[in-house]
Amino acid sequence: MPTTRHHINRERRRQERDSRPRASGADPAAPTAHDAADGTDRRAAGSSAGDEHERRHERAGGSGRRPRAGVLAPALCLLTLALGGFAGWAHARAEGLRDDPALHNTALTDLARTSEIKGRTDEAVAALFSYDHTDPGALERAAEDLLTGKAVDQHRTLLADVRERAGERKAVITTTVTESAVERIDGDRARVLVYADQSSAGTAGEREAGEGTYAGAMFAVDVVHRDGQWLVSGIDTFGR
Amino acid sequence: MKRLVSTVSLALTLALVAGGFAAWAGWDWYDAAHDDSAAYATQRDEALAAAEQAVQNLNTLDHRSVDRGLDLWESSTTGELHDQLVSGRAEFTEQVKEARTVTTARVLSGAVTELDDRAGRARVLVALRVTVEAPGDARTDKDSRMLGELTRTGGRWKLSALGQAPVGGTSAG
Repeated sequence: MPTTRHHINRERRRQERDSRPRASGADPAAPTAHDAADGTDRRAAGSSAGDEHERRHERAGGSGRRPRAGVLAPALCLLTLALGGFAGWAHARAEGLRDDPALHNTALTDLARTSEIKGRTDEAVAALFSYDHTDPGALERAAEDLLTGKAVDQHRTLLADVRERAGERKAVITTTVTESAVERIDGDRARVLVYADQSSAGTAGEREAGEGTYAGAMFAVDVVHRDGQWLVSGIDTFGR
Repeated sequence: MKRLVSTVSLALTLALVAGGFAAWAGWDWYDAAHDDSAAYATQRDEALAAAEQAVQNLNTLDHRSVDRGLDLWESSTTGELHDQLVSGRAEFTEQVKEARTVTTARVLSGAVTELDDRAGRARVLVALRVTVEAPGDARTDKDSRMLGELTRTGGRWKLSALGQAPVGGTSAG
């Protein structure tokens, strides 16, 4: 900066020496820092009165530190470039921070949505993996209401065995989600890890002393939000 | 002269516009860097990554390098779990060397159920597939439904409790 100021001062002194005898109107130095700093272009008004006023103003205030326009314009251009550069860089940094994959996942950061998805998934799993031989239609209805996409086939395959077993033995199979956690929420899609217990209480002869048998299961469920409802769109049994 | 003035005006206008952009971008950057939910999301992912690694470590052991394996167990844990591992180490080493098993584990899936960012505590579910190779026997795969608790110590998340989800724990009979 000192070098620039020295340069400006030297320029100004020389310019004052040179230009005084000349008509001020012809002086390229006439547009001053003062004009520029005002932020208004008085000359743009174009009236001769305005020009006259300007000239007087310049002479009166001529002793101030006024860099020439020829220096000012490039300086402003540099400033513009610097500010623009910073703006671009800062914007890139902000975008970089927002692009963090962690932020696309709103599991737990959006608590309301997380617990809604968890609750709906727990209900859906309970309905989709429970079977009561006295009301076989309940399972069909649940499948129709809660499944979409490839989950329809996955569910049919998984339940084929259960249906057969339960139908034969007149059993009641109850699935309860014991633990679940939302892995990921990305807009209208989410993935939930589910631990469930399946108890089957047979009403036919072969049950063991009235006790239900329990089996633990773990799987991940993909859910999708559609028409105000969370539907199961995929069931991942981890290759089992 | 008019041309020069308008050049300066134009340059000034551009500089002001650039200044506006710079101020906005700077504020935006600050905002993005100080986003609370971003910090929370980062902690969630760090806790989960640490949990998955720790659970996998604690289900991996080769009888040929028990000490190295158990060192890893101890470095992955803290609190009560860590104390248990340390106190049972000698006995456990003997058992593993006798059984000559090689245990490996693969994390199938994991998720954080609870996260207390400030207290540095988290609860996780980790679905695990454990493979055990014993001499003479074929490999056996077993799926485990792990429940873990994490505590943040010295800026790192470590397992402070680990167990399997009970099956049919509350049977009505």
